[in-house]
Amino acid sequence: MNDGQIIAGFLAPHPPHLVYGENPPQNEPRSQGGWEPLRWAYEHARRSLEELKPDVLLVHSPHWITQQGHHFLGVRNLNGKSVDPIFPNLFRYKFELEVDVELAEACCNEAADMGLTTKMMRNPNFRVDYGTITTLHMIRPQWDIPVVGISANNSPYYLTTEEGLEEMDILGKATRKAIEQTGRRAVLLASNTLCHYHFHEEPVPPEDMSQEHPQNYAGYLWDMRMIDLLRQGKISEVFKVLPQFIDEAFAEVKSGAFTWMFAAMDYPELPGELYGYGTVIGTGNAVMEWNLIKAGLAKAA
Amino acid sequence: MSVVSAFLVPGSPLPYVQRDNPPWGEIAAAMETTGKALAASEPDLIAIYSTQWIAVLDQLWQTRAVLQGLHVDENWHEYGDLPFDMKIDVEFAELALKKTAEAGIKAKGVDYDHFPVDTGAIVASNFLNPDGNIPLAITSNNVYHDWQMTESLGRVAADSASELGRKLAVIGVGGLSGSIYRHVINISEDKIADSAEDDWNRKILSMMEQGDTEALAKACPDYAGAARVDMGFKHFAFILGAIGGNFNGATVHAYGPLYGSGGAVVEFDLD
Ligand SMILES: [Fe+2]
Repeated sequence: MNDGQIIAGFLAPHPPHLVYGENPPQNEPRSQGGWEPLRWAYEHARRSLEELKPDVLLVHSPHWITQQGHHFLGVRNLNGKSVDPIFPNLFRYKFELEVDVELAEACCNEAADMGLTTKMMRNPNFRVDYGTITTLHMIRPQWDIPVVGISANNSPYYLTTEEGLEEMDILGKATRKAIEQTGRRAVLLASNTLCHYHFHEEPVPPEDMSQEHPQNYAGYLWDMRMIDLLRQGKISEVFKVLPQFIDEAFAEVKSGAFTWMFAAMDYPELPGELYGYGTVIGTGNAVMEWNLIKAGLAKAA
Repeated sequence: MSVVSAFLVPGSPLPYVQRDNPPWGEIAAAMETTGKALAASEPDLIAIYSTQWIAVLDQLWQTRAVLQGLHVDENWHEYGDLPFDMKIDVEFAELALKKTAEAGIKAKGVDYDHFPVDTGAIVASNFLNPDGNIPLAITSNNVYHDWQMTESLGRVAADSASELGRKLAVIGVGGLSGSIYRHVINISEDKIADSAEDDWNRKILSMMEQGDTEALAKACPDYAGAARVDMGFKHFAFILGAIGGNFNGATVHAYGPLYGSGGAVVEFDLD
């Protein structure tokens, strides 16, 4: 079993507002909709994922923050109710997920071999963070594909951005090796918002879209510049300006998921497909896909 | 004054979940001593400000009457669970919400089943209010709030208690210096990761012991920057706000390392 490969990567941000706007049965609060362009972008991504038929979804989330190393969910079945600490009015979600523990352990071991501090999360009472859950719900609401959940080590904040992202690069390379070894057909999910400047007050109701727009114009311009580069497949240029983007647009990609995903895909100079862009409480969010099968970089099932 | 006792304690779960490790056990024992001092001050309620309850939009106050559950720390999950069973003084929280808004700070109550109560609030409440007999008020650390705003939140707590005629114990929950070990260490050999930060912690604790509030006010901003202090040391600002900026001295019941960062259990002398 050594024909494992990454078949696609998605930029898959996690504003809980998108789940709230959709009104799935798992989420307690009800809405009158909202953020439709982003939710429809995710519908597109869902259709593409359906065709990809992956064995596993790997997600790196900025809202599982760890200080001692990079952690991996390591309990086969996790369930509970996830309440967003910032938006408890919008997100109170009953989840149940299956973890691909074998792949998680392989990622954990590979990353350790490459010099990172790593840890398996074995506590069955662990509450999975809302970033992981939102991204997974938005891309695959059926919850029928096993997952690997990866924490965001706080290195880009504790060290410098560059030093922290170097760790994420290693984590990505280790993830790729682990996928290849375990023979999985894997899809990667980078759970990141772009420009992260946000409003400090919620409209009433929160889904009042007449109040939704970019909080920061310079941040919006940065988002467009980055998306434009990503759509052209100018990935090396993206990573050249990434630290400046992070600084000037307060971008959430600082937390590492974006770098992890591209490192795992070996930074392909491949145009990403933009399914949609929209703001959520003023922050910039893009749903994008890099389909490695279509690009001839991975084999179809 | 409505405030009958005030304490600064670390929010790390390590002394609670692994007290048989000597460096952390010392802090655990001091937390229990402090719990006795708190009980002896006979408060009607305890106000907790915890650096680990991160808020972004508003100033949040817990308004759910009973908080029960099992929490697992996102970083220290391998050491086990943090069970909690807390009673909230809802009348106090409602008044504090009103007074927070009057102080010009947007405020919101939090009353949700399964809301993620933070590790620091649980550790402080389990150690210092072990039977859960004393009702609590718990408020958040809004990352956009500065020292002054946090002081005014402390004042809000004290004023709300006086208006209701309640005796208040105040706990600021958070760490001292913030440099940590990023790799796995032999926990029995845990120490403050950075010796300059160790010096800073000791200097600040000694100023507290002497009740030198003027020197502290001057030193705190430098300390916060130089020693990577947990959330800019705002948990101390909350205490200062609640006690009107003055205390006679303090007893440092313990000071020690928490995976390289600094933690101290401090009881302020208010008489
Ligand atoms: Fe986020």
